[in-house]
Amino acid sequence: MNIAVIGTGMTVFGERWEISPRALARDAVKQAITDAGCDKKNIQALYVANMLSGMLGMQGHLGALFAEELGLSIPAYTIEGACASGGLAIHTAVLSILSGQYETVLVLGVEKMTDHKPEQVSSALMGAGSNEERLAGATFPGLYAILARSHMEAYGTTVKELASVAVKNHYHASFNPKAQYQKPITIESVLRSSCVADPLKLLDCSPVTDGAAAVILSKKPTKHGITIIASQVATDTLGIAERKSLTTLIASTEASRNAFTESGISQRDIQVAEVHDCFTIAEILALEDMGFVKKGEAGKRMSRGAFTLGTAKQCVINSSGGLKACGHPVGATGVKQIVEITDQLRERCGKRQVSHARIGLSHNVGGTGATAVVHILRKETYA
Amino acid sequence: MLSPVKIWRNQKHIASRLGLTGKIISWSLIRVPPDGFSDQAPYPIAIVELENGSRILSQVVDWERDVLKTGQKVKTVVRRTIETTQDGVIPYGIKVKPI
Repeated sequence: MNIAVIGTGMTVFGERWEISPRALARDAVKQAITDAGCDKKNIQALYVANMLSGMLGMQGHLGALFAEELGLSIPAYTIEGACASGGLAIHTAVLSILSGQYETVLVLGVEKMTDHKPEQVSSALMGAGSNEERLAGATFPGLYAILARSHMEAYGTTVKELASVAVKNHYHASFNPKAQYQKPITIESVLRSSCVADPLKLLDCSPVTDGAAAVILSKKPTKHGITIIASQVATDTLGIAERKSLTTLIASTEASRNAFTESGISQRDIQVAEVHDCFTIAEILALEDMGFVKKGEAGKRMSRGAFTLGTAKQCVINSSGGLKACGHPVGATGVKQIVEITDQLRERCGKRQVSHARIGLSHNVGGTGATAVVHILRKETYA
Repeated sequence: MLSPVKIWRNQKHIASRLGLTGKIISWSLIRVPPDGFSDQAPYPIAIVELENGSRILSQVVDWERDVLKTGQKVKTVVRRTIETTQDGVIPYGIKVKPI
């Protein structure tokens, strides 16, 4: 499979009180179209990734809404898969090109979260969980906290090791002008932050974010040669109680294994990856479940700087700052991951550029691992 | 607003899960609750393996800090779940208490 990423764009992520979802979308799409150097008339279909608009904003029918906003009367679809909506939309767009139906399509991820009260946002996000979880008063921090405790008891992972994920991602975000939090933090500040759901503290959690990201995909290659060479999706039970293991997200394992097989790439070939760090434990699970490290080792290696810009020997994880520090506008996140990997492979990431990045991976999770989407991108060299 | 029909449908399954013993597999203490749970926070939630081998995610009631541990024995009880509106149906569900 060879689908070219011909243009990318994203808004500044953060608390964007002054700006509407429509304006966020316009900003990201305009950047992507300019970047691709194409006329918007060349875009044949639109895939919109969003999770919360219907529940929080009472606005559905986003395909038609954003097609109208962009002045395009083309086929348009909304793709929802909780926090993996963005990755799923990219996957669906890739399939639509592979089917032969379209040559060039636009994927837009957009989420406006700060217009609503935190407890409303928390309840709406629980739409990604099971009914049993909602009736128990569970929250996503609470569910990931349960996974964290199981991991700590099984493998001796410590709260300091968890905190080192947040510290790394804030450090990376300090070089990203579009990140929500561009301020480095320390292990101590994570451990001192207030407890949200034991053992997870405030600074173990990704924030509530407004933002949009856009990607234009095409069958025709471009001169910079960034292509998607694997696109895989896997699912698991909606609730965590039904799972055999509380220390592995099977959907991540399966989607990544299929992506590695599809592309003929192995973990060792990857220099840069954006993984789904909605909570610090989630990044630990992602690295282990996708086989970057052995089960139980991610925390220790994280503390030693094995995935940090400047000290990583093999692969830098979440150069954008990840969900933790770049921000997590849920529907936009999976699209933004493709934006970051593409920009890294095009060597236009400024101070956070990973040197000699040629192959990158993105990993997007919905709920507590009920959906996982993995993409592998490569920089092709044309003779 | 909770749908009375949905409550009626779901509550038919409660009886078969009452009075079962089990043990805590993992847990957390929710300090920042979602809508409808603020009167109960902070409250523990746990993955519980029941005697019949099935696992549930449930709130822990009648708890003190020292019962929040892996392996703690519990039994299922019926309790009110989420806050309702003044004229809404009161929803009940399964929770667990330490034994």
